[in-house]
Amino acid sequence: MKVSLFEQVPYRYLPEGFENQHSSVVTAPYDVVEPARMTESLFSAYAELMHGARAGFDGVCVTEHGQSAYDISPNPNLLASAVAYATQAEGLDVTITVLGRSLGKTREPLKIAEEYALLDCVSGGRLIAGFPVGLSYDANLNASLPAVETRERYREHRELILKAWSEPRPFPWNGRFEKYGQVNIWPRPVQQPHPPIWIPGTGSSGTLRDILQQDYVFVYLSWDGPKLTGRQVFDRYWELADELGRDRNPYRLAFLQVVAVSETDERAEREYARHLEAHYRSGLGAIPHTAMAVPGYAEPAAIEGMLRSTGPAGMLSRMKTATYAEIVDSQVAIVGSPATVADQIEAFVREFRIGNLLVMLQNGSMPRDLTEKNISLFAAEVLPRLRPVWDAEGWDNHWWPRAAAIEGAV
Amino acid sequence: MAAGPDAVRDETVEVWDSRLRLHVKVAGDGPPLLFFHPLSGLAWGPLLDRLAERHTVYAPEHPGTSPGDPQAIREVQTYWELLLIYTELAGKLGLERPVAIGQSFGGMVAADLAASFPRLFSALVLLSPLGLWRDDAPIPLMEMVSGPPSGVPNYLYAHPGSEAARAAQALPADPAQQAKAIAQATWNVGCTTKFAWPIADHGLGRRLHRVSVPTLVVWGREDALVPVAYAKEFGSRIAGSRVEVLDDCGHVVPVDQPERSWTAISRFLAG
Repeated sequence: MKVSLFEQVPYRYLPEGFENQHSSVVTAPYDVVEPARMTESLFSAYAELMHGARAGFDGVCVTEHGQSAYDISPNPNLLASAVAYATQAEGLDVTITVLGRSLGKTREPLKIAEEYALLDCVSGGRLIAGFPVGLSYDANLNASLPAVETRERYREHRELILKAWSEPRPFPWNGRFEKYGQVNIWPRPVQQPHPPIWIPGTGSSGTLRDILQQDYVFVYLSWDGPKLTGRQVFDRYWELADELGRDRNPYRLAFLQVVAVSETDERAEREYARHLEAHYRSGLGAIPHTAMAVPGYAEPAAIEGMLRSTGPAGMLSRMKTATYAEIVDSQVAIVGSPATVADQIEAFVREFRIGNLLVMLQNGSMPRDLTEKNISLFAAEVLPRLRPVWDAEGWDNHWWPRAAAIEGAV
Repeated sequence: MAAGPDAVRDETVEVWDSRLRLHVKVAGDGPPLLFFHPLSGLAWGPLLDRLAERHTVYAPEHPGTSPGDPQAIREVQTYWELLLIYTELAGKLGLERPVAIGQSFGGMVAADLAASFPRLFSALVLLSPLGLWRDDAPIPLMEMVSGPPSGVPNYLYAHPGSEAARAAQALPADPAQQAKAIAQATWNVGCTTKFAWPIADHGLGRRLHRVSVPTLVVWGREDALVPVAYAKEFGSRIAGSRVEVLDDCGHVVPVDQPERSWTAISRFLAG
């Protein structure tokens, strides 16, 4: 089992009740920000990633969101670049997962090819390349691209990036959205033909099929917790894998889980409850539903399916008023002592065959000292219990960097 | 006699090197008239019934908006292709210089066809068309389309709570039918806004001087989507055009002012 520290970059000082007046994305008003506190919020995210790298996580992971108060990461490669350099300089063999630059949103796909390649070089081949489509609000509102074209752009950009990484000679690209006379990027990834590719998604059958056919990793960023929506998505994934002749190697699957750990269950609640509530209410809870699917982003059959869904309702629609009890009962966040947390995680990891776990240990207003405590405790007392989960089955993780990571370290 | 919904028939026309089957609703008798629908898709209503009393009305459905054929939108890659496809449609239907009427998004398409192909139509009627942009009169298309559905009527009607406005927005009561209707309406907007996103300005303002047929521009003074300032913009760019601004009228002119807009349109077509 591989366990990575997943970090978003929220502004940690949103005023109380922000979600009742504002959206956390697209139109979030910047005048709620105090510049010094923005600097501190951003700096803390860098520091916490490094804290995780030093604490013994297998990897660190960042995401992209523009015009957002809950993840101020307009280009995650900026964060990843600092971490790539610092971990290389300190000799830390930590994978850097960028989950990633949005291929359906970008107007410059070759920049993504170049940036990822550079990260792979600087880190000595420790990059996992995320190829997300991009959220609708980001691609269709922030970047203002027609929603109905989002996936067509995604497919063309993915093909172009893969070709730019592997084609030895300059080549012309006459795409529908992009035209280039001579594609010949510098540098190229250390990992050839390309770094491992992970694709985050919400679990639509089309996406799952594509991932399995291409032999990539599906990253389920559910936010709903494993209890509420896990079963329907994961079961479908493994059934599709059978159908397409792929093995049930758990490393084909990555899952994101919010975790808060302290010495005891009681203490964990006391320390984390208010930060978790603030995180869900002012972050995900304050994204208008309509901004997640601008007309054209989802096909009519998918919209109809969502409207008629009789499956278990996830927490996502209730995030704006989420209480600590709801968050914990639904396992949207797993909170408690190291034993409590490890028991719960190990149970669902085994049940759903998850080989790559991402844990999010900073949430909303959570300050740096508390976050670093969460990171340290998780690494010291939870991670060792999770690491051997799949050892007995003897699978190879083909989707993890294999390069001699420390070569060329300063 | 009003044509009535029973008299409306469906035709499909193969265009674009057989890659597209356009669905066209046809009714009435008389000289040909092409109607280009607004953002939400084609809804056959009283205006088209009245037009069908004196014309053969051809109302094509924008590619992708025909139920059961959502992927058709993929065959139209650019706005320029959309315009060419409509010229092919007019040819395949054998329409000799039809009258063109376009509403909102359809108004932009009709105006651009008239500007790009000055001999395509015999007359042009634009009902609060999209197609231009002024920094001092922003068009909140993105806000409307990505905002909560409950807010949409505020952009469209002078009196969002009126019976006519509510009837125009009505959904089936049966939950399954309602889900289907919402999904279709949402997709329709995705298909039309493909060519109007985020700003419906394809340079039409630089071509409008080429419109050389009699033109009527009708606008609602209270239009909260495309401000009435654009009535003058269209009027001044199209030589000899006539502009009618209706009081107590929002963006959806035929719903907010069915009688006065009909008077303006029918007089223009008769004259």
